[in-house]
Amino acid sequence: MILIHCPYCEEDRPEVEFTYGGQAHIARPLDPAALDDAEWESFLYIRSNPRGRHAERWRHAHGCARFFNAIRDTVTDRFEVTYKAGEQAPDGAAR
Amino acid sequence: MLEIAPLAVAGIDLATGTAAVNGMVSGLPVCIAPAAPLTRWSLRARDAGALSAAIGRALPDRIGVVIDGIARLGPDEWYALLPEGTVLPGGAGLPVSVVEVTARAVGFTVEGAGAVAALARGCPLDLAGFAPGRATRTVFETVEVQIWATAPETYHVEVWRSFAPWLWHSLAAGLALTAGLD
Ligand SMILES: [Zn+2]
Repeated sequence: MILIHCPYCEEDRPEVEFTYGGQAHIARPLDPAALDDAEWESFLYIRSNPRGRHAERWRHAHGCARFFNAIRDTVTDRFEVTYKAGEQAPDGAAR
Repeated sequence: MLEIAPLAVAGIDLATGTAAVNGMVSGLPVCIAPAAPLTRWSLRARDAGALSAAIGRALPDRIGVVIDGIARLGPDEWYALLPEGTVLPGGAGLPVSVVEVTARAVGFTVEGAGAVAALARGCPLDLAGFAPGRATRTVFETVEVQIWATAPETYHVEVWRSFAPWLWHSLAAGLALTAGLD
């Protein structure tokens, strides 16, 4: 059982309380109608898929119910750090 | 043909009249019982001060802590377990949400020296450090529950009404099963 540190609860909590939310720090277009098809496709579908450190969203669904961000290693499944939604990714984090 | 075990459907009326069950888990006594009737309120607000003023009660600052029957579940979410019939002011005109949800959930008490072991059968939370006065949402097996530590070796488990029969039978089966193994 992996323990994930929730930045809102400020506790290590069991993995089963969490759900995965995809890649983090995807900026939503301010004016979607102004995007061409390629840009819209990129926003909707194109995601990084690194072997290693990955910035991603998680939700403490069965806890405080909040979305937050994490840097996780996709090879080892180790969580390097978690931080609140809206906060900057730590230096050197994969984007 | 798929057969549904009687246990899976028979507990639908368990909110009233279900007798307490005594048993052993890991050699320690446990008693599970339906909780006394309570009134439940879901409280939401970005500004805790506005919510506190609206309902005229103190709110816990820390997530996972209870003050006077109100638990902080998340950054903008509180949950109140109050004596039956308690009415909170609605906070009309204020940026808060104060909603009675009494009928949404059912409460069980899990009590005794084996209470932690009984809950740990299905809940991965570290209950050893979960002192009285704490409460949190978590899971039991695959069912979302709230666990409130109300007194030493005494826990109140809140579960949505439709999941309650399953949870009750799972807890009761755990007592019986482990009693046979001890
Ligand atoms: Zn949390």
